[in-house]
Amino acid sequence: MERGSNYPNGADASAAAVPVKTTLSIVQERFKADETVHLIFEAYQIKGQEHIEGLLALVSSASGGTYAIISFSVLRTPLTASNDLKINKVFPINASFKLTTDSKASKTEQQFDLCTDDDRPTKYYYYSMRTDPLAVDFNEFCAKVNTCKKTMWDAELPSEAALNFRWLDDYREIGEVKHELKKRESEYIIYKDVIVYCATWNVNNKPCWDNKNTLRPWLASGKRAPDIYAIGLQELENTARAMLNGNQMQMFATQWVRKMLENLHDDMEYEELQSVRLSGIMLTIFVRKNLRQHIVRCRVNSVARGVFNTLGNKGGVAVSFQLNEASMCFVNSHLAAHMGNVAERNEDYKAIDDYMRFEENGPQVRTINDHDHIFWLGDLNYRIQEPNGQQRPGPMSDAQTFELMLQYDQLRTEMSYERCFKGYTEGEIKFAPTYKYDVGTDTYDTGEKQRAPAYCDRVLWKGKLIEQLEYNGVMEIRESDHKPVYAIFRVKIKTRDDDKYRKVLAEVLKAVDKRENDSQPQITTDRLNIEFGVVRFNEPAIRDFNVSNDCPQQVDFKFKVKDSHNDICEKWLHVDPRADSLMIDSARSIRVRALIDANSVTGLLKMICTAVDKCVLDILILHVRSGRDIFITVTGEYQPSCFGLSMETLCRTERPIGEYTLDEVKQLMLDVTPVYRVPMPREYFLLIDYLHNQRGQLFQSYDRRQPLSSQFNAVRDWLDSWSNDPFPGTPQTAAEALLLLLDLPEQALLEPFVDDLLASRSKADAERYIDLLSDPKRNVFKHLCLFLCEGVERGDYDANNVATIFGRILLRSSKCNVTIDYHSRCNEFMQRFIRIENPDTVSGGNGHGGASLQT
Amino acid sequence: MAKKTYDLLFKLLLIGDSGVGKTCILFRFSDDAFTSTFISTIGIDFKIKTVELRGKKIKLQIWDTAGQERFHTITTSYYRGAMGIMLVYDITNEKSFENIVKWLRNIDEHANEDVEKMILGNKCDMSDKRVVSKERGEAIAREHSIRFMETSAKANINIERAFCELAEAILDKTSGRESAENPERVVIDRGNSDKATSYSKCCA
Repeated sequence: MERGSNYPNGADASAAAVPVKTTLSIVQERFKADETVHLIFEAYQIKGQEHIEGLLALVSSASGGTYAIISFSVLRTPLTASNDLKINKVFPINASFKLTTDSKASKTEQQFDLCTDDDRPTKYYYYSMRTDPLAVDFNEFCAKVNTCKKTMWDAELPSEAALNFRWLDDYREIGEVKHELKKRESEYIIYKDVIVYCATWNVNNKPCWDNKNTLRPWLASGKRAPDIYAIGLQELENTARAMLNGNQMQMFATQWVRKMLENLHDDMEYEELQSVRLSGIMLTIFVRKNLRQHIVRCRVNSVARGVFNTLGNKGGVAVSFQLNEASMCFVNSHLAAHMGNVAERNEDYKAIDDYMRFEENGPQVRTINDHDHIFWLGDLNYRIQEPNGQQRPGPMSDAQTFELMLQYDQLRTEMSYERCFKGYTEGEIKFAPTYKYDVGTDTYDTGEKQRAPAYCDRVLWKGKLIEQLEYNGVMEIRESDHKPVYAIFRVKIKTRDDDKYRKVLAEVLKAVDKRENDSQPQITTDRLNIEFGVVRFNEPAIRDFNVSNDCPQQVDFKFKVKDSHNDICEKWLHVDPRADSLMIDSARSIRVRALIDANSVTGLLKMICTAVDKCVLDILILHVRSGRDIFITVTGEYQPSCFGLSMETLCRTERPIGEYTLDEVKQLMLDVTPVYRVPMPREYFLLIDYLHNQRGQLFQSYDRRQPLSSQFNAVRDWLDSWSNDPFPGTPQTAAEALLLLLDLPEQALLEPFVDDLLASRSKADAERYIDLLSDPKRNVFKHLCLFLCEGVERGDYDANNVATIFGRILLRSSKCNVTIDYHSRCNEFMQRFIRIENPDTVSGGNGHGGASLQT
Repeated sequence: MAKKTYDLLFKLLLIGDSGVGKTCILFRFSDDAFTSTFISTIGIDFKIKTVELRGKKIKLQIWDTAGQERFHTITTSYYRGAMGIMLVYDITNEKSFENIVKWLRNIDEHANEDVEKMILGNKCDMSDKRVVSKERGEAIAREHSIRFMETSAKANINIERAFCELAEAILDKTSGRESAENPERVVIDRGNSDKATSYSKCCA
């Protein structure tokens, strides 16, 4: 299909007012000049709960001469640029490529599988409606894909090497080390010769100790000592007897294994790798001792046939293993007997071939045909079936005679019709039929039945790089009515050159690691330091910064919660958003707000006292999912204010707090000597003095979390500068400021005696503790009580209300174990100090307070 | 889609004063490259590198931390979960060596108890500017029973060796737990052959 015919060409596009790119042209942008996108098909995938919108594109490469399907996920709809498409899988349309529709699928969920290169199939779904007019429908998609495969693979077949898929490497993720290693196999694979010795004998229920003679003519033939022996025995013991006594049977088997081991080639030491037995059918694998370490994944199994297909008097046993990089399988079978049972023999073969399974790690299994080299031996029981009336030829020792007889060999006939042993090969037979002899002689059956001689005992093979060196029957072993047979092979075993392999592996790992490191999601921030400059109490400040995604994938980011304070940032900061996703080539701004208010000032002051760098307000951790973390430092210099400072600290100042640097304030805060410049902080005095002259109910309620009144900051500056100007706010603002001044310091005014004072029974009782308070605290307390007392006396303040509000602030407990009657006891305590009970105390206090107030 | 391509995953951490060459060491190990321009790491970066040790593919996930002092409190929260820690100092910087003790204390406080540690004296190619002798490095390592090596990311000295040795030490620890499961390379399925024989028995 021509590209031009599929989507509007340049002339058409320019004719439109806004040249909109078609999906097909966007997809085409992802490929090189000699690669053509033939069609697109809308298909989605389901992962967990999620639908992943996708596109499949059929693409060909002119230089590679091959087709492939590239699977994209669509990151953004509608599609506007090629980087909204992410390649998630590549399917070369090679010999193993399959597009299969799921017959079990319901009508609503239309689905199909794509599969290639021995990978698991990938499932795709599609909607019945197309959203893009240029996308094809499912039938067209299937038809086109199948045509492509046909033109490439069913025509005059070029070898796989002539067609190359290397162009796909640019689009494939090297996620898989295995896949990469497989691709570069030729760089490190060498072939090593291994001599495999296969032998089979139907021993006709003769225990091996009856056999005094050597087995060497059968097992030690050939010049070169074999590396692997596969020896199959049949009719180890009469089946009925074998079943009656399993233990005895096992003993026979062991005897045979020992006997065989003693009769192997002299030049080499062997050990038994594995034996497997099904009733009287046994297969034993011996290997050269120093070959043993190169064998892994050894598995055995058996398939029973014979009576009811379960008895196991007939059937097959098999051993599978991996030698170096090659998989090998050996089968010993005893198929159905008697001249007429050709079909049964074929059936037995088929059953063994179909049902023999070897467990793999995980859910997979190996079948016989999954091996590189397969050897099938045994008493296959196929006979010589001469046409009726034909005379048996003369002497049996003549090679020509064998050739004539073999024309009528059932096995060869059946194999030629592919009714059994499809794909197997057998070497030339130059020995006499191995069945049936009078025991102890080389004479064919002279018994009643006069069975016709036959080549029952055979060795076949299947697989590459196998060369048969010898194939023979052994006449001089006469204990059975069968003659033993052996075949020697030279097999070229796929082997890893360890040095070369290590080199390739290192390169592959490096490439895979590099890919993973390079594909790490990344975002960049336009600044690593958010500078707020001077930050003042109760004055919010805002800074924005940008994060952008310039890596070729969507990136999710979030600010990490820090262990130290269970949140992403300190209380005085607010970050928005806390998390987001960024599409490719997109950016967004993040807002950081700083507000040092009633709720956060204490924490900030505490941090300033301990921090190395007093200007670091916080460090944010910007975390990219599956990627790195970026530390963003937020700095700002807090302008000290009286709010939040303790009464002791305020009594150490010699000039307005607003004139102090943060460092100086830090020194004042860290100072613990009981030396004060004034009896009580000037800020308290100024506020109380102002309030004393105001009328009306000023203390109605208090909540630290409420926003402060609009004049508050003017009052703050007035206090922080010890201003001589008239008070800049309303009486309510002054009341608000007084309550905050009392409430914000880390320690409540009456600490550390809050518990004792709450427990006290009388004013006198309480005063003993009040006297122990630090001078600044005691003076503030007394002055405050006096002030409140006068207000109550004047009738401006409701005693109960004022006691509740101030009681809670002054007796604020840092401990959590607040009792149920805590609030009423706070109230009760305060009432004792603001109600006039004893004129002497009041007048005394009044004298002090009055004097102060009039200063 | 991505299948597991490794047998074991080890998380390693690089710590040490700012400017001792942590990022360069990681860059040399992962990309086999070196750049002399100093770019302070502001955060936590990581790279992965797969190595083969004793026939096992081991994926090392190596975390590179910011060395600047103001980030110390934050970086310590990354210690947890690290199976190996490379503690790096600069042989041309006395202070960075003196701080080793402080870093070790940090590890004690914040890392897993059984974390494998290794001290690296980096920049060993700069012999003319050396102020910390190799013996002093060895002594402090011996004192704390920690592995020690002098390295140079620039001259590519001991970088690969250091990581492999640390990984091997972790492997020793983990393989102790694992060996019972996987005694040898060859597994012969005896169970299956028994099934074949017992099969004929049970039909009797």
